[in-house]
Amino acid sequence: MKNLFLILLLTLLLIFPVLPGITAEQLTAKAILEKVDTLLNAPQDQKIHIKLVLIDKNGKEEENRELIMMQKGEKRMGKFLSPASQRGIGFLSLPNDLFYVYMPAFKKTQRIATRQKSGKFAGTDFSYQDLGTQQYSEEWSSQLVESDQENYVLQLTAVEGNNTGYSQLMLWVNKTNFFPVKVEFYNQNNRLCKILTSSNVQEISGYFIARELEMVDVIKNHSTKMFLEKVEFDTGLSDEFFTERYLSR
Amino acid sequence: MNKFAQFVMGHRKTVIFLTILITLFLGYSITKIQIDPDILNYLPKSDPVVKLSQYIGKEYGGNLLAMVAMEATDIFTPSTLKEMDLLTNNLQRIEGITYVTSLTNILDIKESDGFIEIGTLIDLEDNPEILNELAELKDYILTKDMYRNKFISSDATTALLICQLENDIDKVKVAKAIKKQVEELELKSDIYYGGLPFYLMEISDTIVRDLKALTPLVSLFIIITLYLSFRSLTGVVLPLLSVLISSIWTLGTMSLFGIPLTIISNTIPVILVAVGSAYSIHLINKYYEIKSEGSLIERAEKTLFSVGLPILLTAVTTIAGFISFIFGSYLTMIQQFGVFSALGVFFALVTSTTLVPVLLSLVKTKPLLKRKDQPTVYSNFITRFSSWIYTNKLLITIIGLLIMAISIAGIPRIQRKVDVLDYFKPESSIRLTEEKIMKGKFGGSIPIQILVNGEIQDPAVLIEMKKVQDFLATLPNVNNPFSIVDLIIELNAAMGEGRQIPDHQDKVANLWFFIEGEESVDQLVNRDKSEALIQATLIYAPMDQITGLVDQIEQFIADLDSPVCTFTQTGMHSIYKNLDHSLLRSQLQSLLLSLLLILAMVSLLLGSFRGGLIGLIPIIFTLTVIFGFMGYSGIPLDIATVLVGSISIGIGIDYSIHFVNRFRQEKKSATNSKDALIETLQTTGKGILINMTTVTGGFLIFLFADLVPLQRFGALVALTMVSSGFGSIIILPAIILLLEKRIQIFSS
Repeated sequence: MKNLFLILLLTLLLIFPVLPGITAEQLTAKAILEKVDTLLNAPQDQKIHIKLVLIDKNGKEEENRELIMMQKGEKRMGKFLSPASQRGIGFLSLPNDLFYVYMPAFKKTQRIATRQKSGKFAGTDFSYQDLGTQQYSEEWSSQLVESDQENYVLQLTAVEGNNTGYSQLMLWVNKTNFFPVKVEFYNQNNRLCKILTSSNVQEISGYFIARELEMVDVIKNHSTKMFLEKVEFDTGLSDEFFTERYLSR
Repeated sequence: MNKFAQFVMGHRKTVIFLTILITLFLGYSITKIQIDPDILNYLPKSDPVVKLSQYIGKEYGGNLLAMVAMEATDIFTPSTLKEMDLLTNNLQRIEGITYVTSLTNILDIKESDGFIEIGTLIDLEDNPEILNELAELKDYILTKDMYRNKFISSDATTALLICQLENDIDKVKVAKAIKKQVEELELKSDIYYGGLPFYLMEISDTIVRDLKALTPLVSLFIIITLYLSFRSLTGVVLPLLSVLISSIWTLGTMSLFGIPLTIISNTIPVILVAVGSAYSIHLINKYYEIKSEGSLIERAEKTLFSVGLPILLTAVTTIAGFISFIFGSYLTMIQQFGVFSALGVFFALVTSTTLVPVLLSLVKTKPLLKRKDQPTVYSNFITRFSSWIYTNKLLITIIGLLIMAISIAGIPRIQRKVDVLDYFKPESSIRLTEEKIMKGKFGGSIPIQILVNGEIQDPAVLIEMKKVQDFLATLPNVNNPFSIVDLIIELNAAMGEGRQIPDHQDKVANLWFFIEGEESVDQLVNRDKSEALIQATLIYAPMDQITGLVDQIEQFIADLDSPVCTFTQTGMHSIYKNLDHSLLRSQLQSLLLSLLLILAMVSLLLGSFRGGLIGLIPIIFTLTVIFGFMGYSGIPLDIATVLVGSISIGIGIDYSIHFVNRFRQEKKSATNSKDALIETLQTTGKGILINMTTVTGGFLIFLFADLVPLQRFGALVALTMVSSGFGSIIILPAIILLLEKRIQIFSS
C-alpha cells in the first residue's frame, strides 16, 4: 500500500510539470500567432520598391525584375519597371478574388480568375498567395513545437476553409519582436516544397519589415531573392487609387 | 603441345584445386551481377543526336515517357476524376519521375465572360465545385486540341497520365514503382501501361521467365543427345561442366568489373554452349577413339597432344571473330559483348584443355564406341556417305553454290527493326495495349523533339515554329505537335486578339507574364527564352517509315532555312534511325573484319592463302544461308539477331579447322583421298555431328519462348549449326576433292 502510494506520487510528480506546460503552450502558440498578425498588418498602407532576383537550379542569376508595389489592407497594386519586356505591366488585387492585369502592349486591362492560389507570381518562386496579406491566426491552428534562445517554432495546420494551397507551415518567430523570420511551406501531399527566409529585419517608422527575403523552391531547386529597396509607410493612399481606372494609367 | 599436355597431366591436383577456387570466387561474384535491359544506356555519348537528347532530358525535365492509361465507362465522373487526381499526385512523388501531367494538373488558359482564367484544368483542391459542372467540363475539354487524343480519348473513356523520367535513371525500377503505386491505390478504373520503361520492365521479366522455363528443357535435351552419342556419363558431364564453368567465370568477371548483363550479353552462356561444348566434345571423341594400351593418364595426355592444337586454333580464331565486334560498334553493349564472349571462349578453351583431360584421366570409363574393325551403323553409313560425296563432288558443289545464290537473292529483303515493341508477340498484353490504347486512342508513345534556338518571344520565331508544328501534323503516324506557340495563341485569343500569334514582340512579352514560371512552361522554353522545344508523339511504325520521317523533318527544316532561328531534331525516333543505320553498318564492318582476321590466321596456319580461302567456305556458306533465310522468313535484323553472324563465324571456323586439320593428317597415311575422307568423317566428322545435333536441338527449344528475339535467336542459331555442320562435312569436302590437285596443301 505504501508502495502504491509512492508510485502514485511519483507519477503525479512526473506528470505535473508537463500538464500546465501543454495548456500554456497552446495559449502561447495562438497568442504568438496573433502578435505576428498584428505586427504584419500594422501599417495603414505601404509603398515598396522591390527588386527581384531569380536564381535557377544551376545557381545562375536570371534577368532581374523591379516593381513598385502599393498595399492598403487587402488591396494591392503593382507596376513593373523592368525588365524592358515587362515594363508597364500592372496588376491590381482586390478582396473576393478580384485580380486585374494591365498589359501595356495591348493597352488593355484584363480580369484574371486566379483559380490557382499557388500560381506563380511573374515567374518567381512566390505565389500570389505568398505575397498577399497574411492573417495566420484565422487560417491556421497552431502548436508550439520548440522554443530556443531566439525563436519560437510554431507548427501551423490548415483549418477548415483554408485555401492557401498549403497543408502545413512551420513558422520561426523572433522572440523579441515577433517577426516571422523563417517559414517552411508544405504542399497538399505534406511534402516540404518551399522555404522563405527573411533577413535584415528593420524597424521603420515604428513598423517592422524585412528588407531581404529569399524564397527557395526545394523541389525544383529554384529560388527568388526579394530586396525591398525603398519602403514608405502610411503615405495616405486613397481607396480610389486601387481601381481599374488607376491601373491603366 | 606435348609439353603442355605433360605439364597439365603432371599437375592434375593443382588444376582441379585452382578450377574449384576460381569457380567459387567468381561464382560468388555472380550473385552481385546487375541486369540492365536498357539499350539507351549504351548509346554512344559522342553521337550528336544522343547528346542533344540527353541535354533536352536534363534541361526540360526528362524526355523519356512512361504512360499510365485509366479506362472507365466515362472519365468525367467525380469518382474517376478523384482517382485521377490521387494517382497523379502519388505518381509525382515517385523517385525518378520529374513531372506527371494529366487533366488534373495541366495548365489551362480559358477566356470566359470577359476575363481570362489561368489555372489548373481540373483543380479538385482549390475548386472542388467543378465536379458539379461535369457535362460542361467534358464538352470544354473534348473540343480542345490540346487535350483531346493527348490526355483524353475522344470517346472520353480513357485518360492518359504522362510521366517524364529523369535522365540516367533505372527505368525498370521506376516502371515497377509506378505499377506498385497503382496496385496499392486499388483503383476502380482499369489501368494500362505504355512507353519504354514498361517495355523494358516486361522484357527483363520475360527473359527471366523464358530462361527459367526453357533452360532446363535445353539442358535435358543436350544431356540426352550427349548420352546417346557417347553412351557414357563422362561424355555428358564433361562438356556440360566445361560450359558451366566457363560461363561462371565469364559472368563472374563481368560482375567483378561492374559490367551489367544486357539483352545482348545474356546470350554469352548460350554462345558458350554452342561453341564451348565443341571443344570438350572433340577432346572426348578423340579420347574414346584412341586405342591406347597405356594408363588413363597416358591416354588423356595423348588425346590432349593430338587435338590440343586444333582446339587451340579454333578457339583463337573464334576469339579473333568476337574481338572484331569491338571495332565499329555503335552500341557500347555490343563492344562489351565482343570482349566478354571472346573471354568466355578463352575460358572454355582453358577448361576443356586442362580440367576436362584431367577429369578424363581420373575416371575409368569404358567407351561404348565399337572398335573400328567391327563396323557399326554409323561407320557403315559414313563409308557410303563418303563415297557419295566423292562421286558427286561436282553436283554437291553446284548445289551448294545454288543454295548460296538463292540465299544471296534473299538478303536485300532483310528487314531491320530496332524498336523494343517488336520484342513482344502480337498477342501479348503490351502489344495489345499499344495497339488499342496508345495507337488507337492517343498518338503513340515515342517522343519526337525539335529544339529551337532563337529569340523565342519574337513573333517571327513563333511563326517559324508554327510552320514546323503544322508540318509535323501532316506527317503520318505523328501526333500532338505542341509548343509554347499554342499557349501564346491561346492567351492572345483570351486577350481578344483572335487565335493567332501576336503581331508584336511586346505583346508576346506581356502575355508571358501570365505563364512565366509555370511547370508546363519550363518544359517548353528555357528561362532565358533563347531556346524552346517542339514536342510530338509518334506511333510505333516500321523502321523504314521512321527513317523516312526523320529525313522528311530534316528536309523541311533545311528548306525552311529560317534567318531568325535554327531547328535541331532529336528524340527516340532519330536515335532509332541512327541505331538502325549503325546496326547494319557495324554488322557488315565486324563481319568483314572477322572474316579477314580469320582468313589471315587460317592462311598462316595452313601456309597457303588458297587453303585459307577454302577454310572459309563453311562460314561463308552459313552466313549467306542465315541472312538469306532472314530475308525470306521475315526475321528482321535487330540487336539480338545481329549477333547470329558472329556465332556463325565462331562455329563455322571451328568445324572447318577440325575438318581440314584431320583431313590433312589422314591424307598422309591414307592411300587415296576417298579413304582419307572416310577416316576424317568417321572421327572428326562424328564430333561435328554430335556438336551440331546437340546444339541445334537445344536451340530449337527456344522457339517456345515468349520473347520474340529469343525465339528468332533460337531458330537462327539452330540453322547456323545445321548449315555450318553440313557446310563442313559435305560442301567443304566436295570442294576440297574437286580442287585438291590445284591446291598444294591438299594434294601432297
